[in-house]
Amino acid sequence: MEPEVIEAELVLPTYFSFKKTQIYEKYPKGQSSARRFKHLKQIIQAENIQSYPPDEPNYVNIESPPSMHPSKRICDITGYEAPYHDPRTKLRYANAGVFKVIRSLPSEYVQRYLALRNAAVVLR
Amino acid sequence: MPFISQIQRQTDYGLFPSTTPIVIDNGASYFRIGWAGENEPRVVFRNIVQRPRHKSTGETVTVVGDHDAALLKYFDCTRSAPRSPFDSNVVYQFEIMEYILDFGFDRLGANGSEIDHPVLITECVCNPVYSRSKMAELLFETYGVPSVAFGVDAAFSYKYNQQLGICTNDGLAISPGFTTTHVIPFVDGEPVYKGSCRTNIGGYHVTDYFKQLLSLKYPHHMTRFTWEKVEDLKMEHCYVAPDYALEAQLFQKGTKEAEDKTRCWQLPWVPPVVEEGPSEEELARRAAIKERQGQRLREMAEAKRSSRINELENELRGLAFLLKQLEQVGEEDIPSFLADTGYASKQEIESAHAKATQSLRKAKGEPKAEQVESDEKIDLSADEKFSLLSVPDNMLSAEQLKEKRRLNFLKTTTEGRQRAKQKRMEEELERERKNREDEERRLANPVLYLEELHVKYKELSEKVEQRKRLKTNGGNTNGNNLSGGVGRGERLNAAQRERMRLLTTAAFDRGKGEDTFGARDEDWQLYKLMSKDNDDDDDEHDPEEVELTRISSRLQEIDPTFIPKVESGTSQQVVEVPKFRPLTKEDFQVLLGVERFRCPEILFNPNLVGIDQAGMDEMAGVSIRRLSCDSKDVEDRLTRSILITGGSCLFPGISERLEAGIRMIRPCGSPIRVLRASDPVLDAWHGASMYASALQFPSQTFTRTDYYEKGEDWLRRYQVRYSL
Repeated sequence: MEPEVIEAELVLPTYFSFKKTQIYEKYPKGQSSARRFKHLKQIIQAENIQSYPPDEPNYVNIESPPSMHPSKRICDITGYEAPYHDPRTKLRYANAGVFKVIRSLPSEYVQRYLALRNAAVVLR
Repeated sequence: MPFISQIQRQTDYGLFPSTTPIVIDNGASYFRIGWAGENEPRVVFRNIVQRPRHKSTGETVTVVGDHDAALLKYFDCTRSAPRSPFDSNVVYQFEIMEYILDFGFDRLGANGSEIDHPVLITECVCNPVYSRSKMAELLFETYGVPSVAFGVDAAFSYKYNQQLGICTNDGLAISPGFTTTHVIPFVDGEPVYKGSCRTNIGGYHVTDYFKQLLSLKYPHHMTRFTWEKVEDLKMEHCYVAPDYALEAQLFQKGTKEAEDKTRCWQLPWVPPVVEEGPSEEELARRAAIKERQGQRLREMAEAKRSSRINELENELRGLAFLLKQLEQVGEEDIPSFLADTGYASKQEIESAHAKATQSLRKAKGEPKAEQVESDEKIDLSADEKFSLLSVPDNMLSAEQLKEKRRLNFLKTTTEGRQRAKQKRMEEELERERKNREDEERRLANPVLYLEELHVKYKELSEKVEQRKRLKTNGGNTNGNNLSGGVGRGERLNAAQRERMRLLTTAAFDRGKGEDTFGARDEDWQLYKLMSKDNDDDDDEHDPEEVELTRISSRLQEIDPTFIPKVESGTSQQVVEVPKFRPLTKEDFQVLLGVERFRCPEILFNPNLVGIDQAGMDEMAGVSIRRLSCDSKDVEDRLTRSILITGGSCLFPGISERLEAGIRMIRPCGSPIRVLRASDPVLDAWHGASMYASALQFPSQTFTRTDYYEKGEDWLRRYQVRYSL
């Protein structure tokens, strides 16, 4: 280990005096931690929300509803206001110049622009 | 933004009595830990963990927080991405949380056998009980903490600011954080979670949007847009426009204001080294060297030539002598005489002699005209040789017949050569004549001539291009064009049509259910036909192309302003850097114009990134509605003191925008005041520290025994009281 690394104490030591059980004892090597812990979706499912009274706030309750304001459509490429959309690629564009650019984009970029808006076709 | 982590190991851990609580602000962006009652947290670092492998030793180590890149180069960080214990704003990865707590306590100076201080830790609004219980378990079991309290960071911030006098007892706390944005109403100093509201948009999404936009706009500089760099850019340059549509119009029209607002980031770029032309002396020296070399070569060539001339002269003299001797010797003795010398007959000697004289003359470098004469002389002598041909066949013997046939062949070939030469000479004369005419015409009327040439050039180039376009047939378009491709009714030229016809007839010819193509040998001739057609196609427009190149070269000579039309392929992507011109400084500039206010806009309009939830201003309305208070009075009190806190509220212009947005949804004339927290980033910790140092704080915590005895349901309903 290089001297400056040791001096900066970059690496986390494996033993701490103030801990009752050290981390290597708790999590033996081998099993990946990803499978050990539940993700948020599973946590929410496990919480069994239906059994609680509905007017009590819980994690799912307090989420905001969809927006009631009229949605603003902006051009995917430039960010200006976009009254038009391209039926072939489904991108929104502001004027003819941007349209030309859209038609010359390779398919990969089209998908990435759509993914920004969460509108890309995901094949799973 | 400067590197704000502080990870200096604190030394005064032992000075604090075990009643002093430790205050932890466990945020999705930064982890802040310190002592209750103090003004600033002691240790601050980013809430991420990496597990890279050391390059030389190969062991996997754990690195908590963000560090100087210079030190990290000793580790192989390619396979280990930074991981966070958070999923949205809820802690779920407790192994990583343990690493972080280890690091935090260690840097706070903890020693001894356990952490013997009560701990106040922040969590998100309505934290699921699973996460809460796992966190409590971690603290109690692994660290031996005596008592724990959970609180909401936005609430602490509000209480702190209330103490400072910025906001009142009743109000609204709006806190755009790293992954989520919350709106919490406060009534009588306590947060009412029933009326709270959460949207899953935060600083992380703004940075991500910014990064994607820049990468798509400047694909060549994609490697420069790292997460940290983009975050820095966001903090420095992004702002919230008071009205998105108006601002976008400014930029669309290209007004001066828009130009001022566009910021330009110049990437490091080194202009290519222009090699200075060699200086005069250098040139002179090089010329001298070349001259000397040329001289040497010429001398060598001269020497060789003179030696060859000498040789030839010798040979010539020898042959002449031989001839003279022959004349003296009689007819019968010729064969035996010549047997020594190696020549079969007198004619051979004569021809050899003639050839030798000719090569001698050539070596001496005499003009070609004489050579032509000598060629003709040889031809004449050849005619004599062909005298045998004039003699009719029946009078010759078998040998002579063979001889005659050979002579016939020779004669035809020489005649052919002569004819070809003549044609060449005629063509040359013709070309000379045409050029002279052209020149005369040009000198007579230069302008008109030039115009004619231009017109001809344009016509020809159009024709050639059209033919090329027909040939490629739209096959060069990119993947966007779903239709296209040969054979779908598009214009095929003659050769392709012929090929198609052949293919179809071959395929469907035999009929009667069985395909017997290939049974007969003649079938395979089909392919020969097809390939031949292809060749014909190419030769078709060759003469036109030749003409085109000739005219273009002529134009280039005469007209200084003429630029030959470069063959343009199918349209290229506009933002692509064309490879045919040297890169300039402008190619390495990143312009931030519309992106500056487009990215923070998603906080107010999450639809822009496809998240179908309300924006910040609308959320305030939702929250007030959810509270379902009866009197307008209470609502007015709420909107009179709206506090925005949290790291993502540092964008310039956010307060004005929020105020305008809320005014839109509230009845006309209601009082609206938007206040910013005194320190949006650290106020949560300040509030928590102040709370933990109050006297009644211990009554709000719960101990280990409480945790085990009272069960999960109690834990779920556990909330601290914020007004102590």
